[in-house]
Amino acid sequence: MTLQNSFSRRRFLGQSTLVGAGAAASVMSLDILKSEAFSKQLKQKGKRVLLLWLAGGVSQLETFDPKPGRLTGGPFQAIQTAVPGVEISELMPKMATRLKHTAIIRSLNTKIGDHGGGARLMHLGRRDEPNLSYPDMGSVMARELGRPDSKVPDYVTFYTATEGRGNAVGQAGFLGSRYAPMFLTTGNKPQNLERLESISDLDHRERADLRRVLSARFTQGRVSPALGSHNVAYGRVRGLMSSEALFDITREPKSIQDKYGPSLFAQQTLVARRLIEAGTPFVKVSRAWWDSHGQNFETHLEMVTELDHVMSTLLDDLQERGLLEDTLVITLSEFGRTPTINGSLGRDHFARAWSATLSGCGIRGGTVFGSTDEDGQHVKDGEVGAAELFATIYAAVGIDPQHEYYVGSRPVPLVDSGTEVISEVLA
Amino acid sequence: MRLSQSIILLALGFVPLSMVQGETLIQDVVDSMLDAKMQQVNITAAPMADDYNILRRTTLDLIGRIPTSAEVDRYVTSEDSNKREQMVDQLLQSPAYQKHLAYDLNLLLAPAGNNELQNFLEQAVTQRRGWDQMFRAMLLGDYEDELERQAMKFVKLRVKDLDNLTNATSSLFFGVNISCAKCHDHPLVIEWTQAHFYGMKSFFNRSFENGDFVGERDYGALQYQTTDGKQLDAQMMFLSGKVIEEPQWTSPDAEKQKAEKKQLEQLAKDKQPVPVPQYSRRAQLLDIALNGDDRSYFSKSIVNRIWYRTFGYGLVMPLDQMHPSNPASHPKLLDFLAQDMSDHGYDLTRLIRGLVLTQAYARSSRYDGENRPPQLWFAVANVKPLTPQQYAAALLFGARNPSQFASEDVLKTQAEIESVHAQARTLAVKFDVPSDEFQVSVDEALLFSNDAALEKDLLANRADRLIGELMILSTDAEVVATASKSIMNRPVTKQEQRVMMKYLKHRQDRREAAVIQLVWALLTSSEVRFNY
Repeated sequence: MTLQNSFSRRRFLGQSTLVGAGAAASVMSLDILKSEAFSKQLKQKGKRVLLLWLAGGVSQLETFDPKPGRLTGGPFQAIQTAVPGVEISELMPKMATRLKHTAIIRSLNTKIGDHGGGARLMHLGRRDEPNLSYPDMGSVMARELGRPDSKVPDYVTFYTATEGRGNAVGQAGFLGSRYAPMFLTTGNKPQNLERLESISDLDHRERADLRRVLSARFTQGRVSPALGSHNVAYGRVRGLMSSEALFDITREPKSIQDKYGPSLFAQQTLVARRLIEAGTPFVKVSRAWWDSHGQNFETHLEMVTELDHVMSTLLDDLQERGLLEDTLVITLSEFGRTPTINGSLGRDHFARAWSATLSGCGIRGGTVFGSTDEDGQHVKDGEVGAAELFATIYAAVGIDPQHEYYVGSRPVPLVDSGTEVISEVLA
Repeated sequence: MRLSQSIILLALGFVPLSMVQGETLIQDVVDSMLDAKMQQVNITAAPMADDYNILRRTTLDLIGRIPTSAEVDRYVTSEDSNKREQMVDQLLQSPAYQKHLAYDLNLLLAPAGNNELQNFLEQAVTQRRGWDQMFRAMLLGDYEDELERQAMKFVKLRVKDLDNLTNATSSLFFGVNISCAKCHDHPLVIEWTQAHFYGMKSFFNRSFENGDFVGERDYGALQYQTTDGKQLDAQMMFLSGKVIEEPQWTSPDAEKQKAEKKQLEQLAKDKQPVPVPQYSRRAQLLDIALNGDDRSYFSKSIVNRIWYRTFGYGLVMPLDQMHPSNPASHPKLLDFLAQDMSDHGYDLTRLIRGLVLTQAYARSSRYDGENRPPQLWFAVANVKPLTPQQYAAALLFGARNPSQFASEDVLKTQAEIESVHAQARTLAVKFDVPSDEFQVSVDEALLFSNDAALEKDLLANRADRLIGELMILSTDAEVVATASKSIMNRPVTKQEQRVMMKYLKHRQDRREAAVIQLVWALLTSSEVRFNY
């Protein structure tokens, strides 16, 4: 964030707090003005996050924590990676050669084994609390890494499949809808970003100017945070419309399009890369539906192969553009899958010992944190939960996980207080 | 003592409430207490809003829509000195008032996105049931009664998560959010300890879901662990610290429990309610919450919420932090209104009427002076974001041909208004429900800027729409005046007129497009998005 931007942010936020003067308890205190703000902003400068959300629960055994030769291991072998001593599933040969950018966390125990509850936990980093609506990871990133005057969206979510879509939380909670996601459920382009044919570009712009003039008269002598946000939202429309091209992958060279390939997941990941490159701080691309209670191995053969291709292409692409250093790529699900193989050759929900990966920005590549026992039934060492994972993710992009928001007079830390980051995976 | 005199003395704290004789009017007490406080802190209030503004504000607040152009004309031209009170009473008698209040109460009481309490609330408001009766029906409704069966959704929708049920009940009805005290004694409020949280939860610990119904056992205790690791039995304890002694009970043996389980399964299968227990813990909560000194939690909380709904800011903020360390801005006023509430059968409409008839309610939201008074003195009206239904209604009524609502035939006009209002309730799903820190999302701005369906609905050149009417007017000045009155419910200022006429003039070659764009700019303006 440049100094100029930090000034406009300050002004924007200052405006929203005016009303609270004398009654600050009612308005969320905005803590950007703390003395360390400047150094913090330097640390967070240009940082981006791309979450590959593997909805339904990917199997850790067929990806990043294989158990070849064990009863629970399944038919696939493990292969050596570019990092000596670290093996992953043979379904991920491309990632195996690129593991030097990636840290694997093999010791998640998140306890919630249903899709809804698990997905909420892995989006919010904590359990729900009645009467306090928490922001999800994307909204926090939009708030902390975004720019208020940005012409690109702050937070974009792709979720085209219908299975599990309702579980994939996108909520700004107490941060307010300024930080809510642009939620794409059909195709690769968001709704209402394109001008209708019934109006010319000139008239579209000038009627917005007329609107602004009429509203400006009304806002004179009136103060309210919500009122400010109304005009801010309209002020962003034209800028966001100009970002429409970012959602159009045909503007990429053919060679790049070919590298990603034709699958929807690949195409949306390419859009995500375009958004990240243009300055969008948080993009989530969802790939569903990993819920392989039956025929786990066929499902994973197909889907892990795709994941391997898309993830490795993405990491290469980011690196070639010099973006990987500032972009954190996460793979995450609501939970993993049972080591025990059921009667339908499936694996069931399993939150007790599973894996996630972090690549790029702020990450010590090639590390493996934690381990499971030889059958993968329990965490053997380094047990961590959602809170530790989220603290680590925030720390990787330069956000202090102990950072507190104020809701009324109540301090709410980004992650539950007392949570430690997994410093072993941080650069 | 004369009434006006006694109110002033009451406001200044010289006389207790009980000494005030005669029928005190809520609006008089409110105004004198607010005025006394403003004097004390040396604040000048904003001037009164004009008739246009007062009519729009009151109509939106009471029946959830903007006034029609005909209603605006009627009100501003009336010379009756009592016209404001008459307008208020007319609105309060309208069925739209009941629907609108029920809609807001449902937003408050039901989990987000759920409207299963709405019908109950609408019927209860229509029958003018007291807030205490509504609370009773929602907490301990009788399944024999169809309406109370609906009311029980309050418990039913939350009973799977007793922490949630406990906290929702405590926050929504008593103004006290005790969720912080679940894991440790409340860090900020010494009055709330873990014992309070589990004490309150104990009123619900025997409640459970059985099929379509909520049942309650007559045995079972709640245990919890303190921060220093001790395991304790919770006692039923109200927020005030008052503990309920209950008769001896014993847990049934394994065989009886098995029989009970079987019976419950059968009842669920037969879609029958669970028989009520001899001793109900939920009934104990009702008993303590609605009687004696402890009822002040209940009555103050509803006063504060209705006050917030009316003025856009509470006497206590936040609304769920009503505790001694966070006192009201006007403690005596809150006491008076709470007492009035319980003295008059917790009649919501009585309070709402009193508040909208105050001078404070009729102040302008615009303050041109240098030191804008803080919200807590109620010296300036607040700008409130519209609820989804209010906003949808503001858009649809604004975009209609105003002559549709101006027929001599009163019944026809009434039917027309009701029909458009019903459409607004459908359109409402497109907008966000405003919270305390509400911000308008960019999605909403994009929707208005580029959505084809919305354009087709609001900006059609048809006889029954505003644009159809504007297209047959002969001068630009008439277009500007008619559009502004329909959408903003007031005449235009000179400056606005100049800007809009210039816009039209520049587009003489495409007049229809120009008129549509003008209406768009008015409909999407901030003035329409808020109640001010």
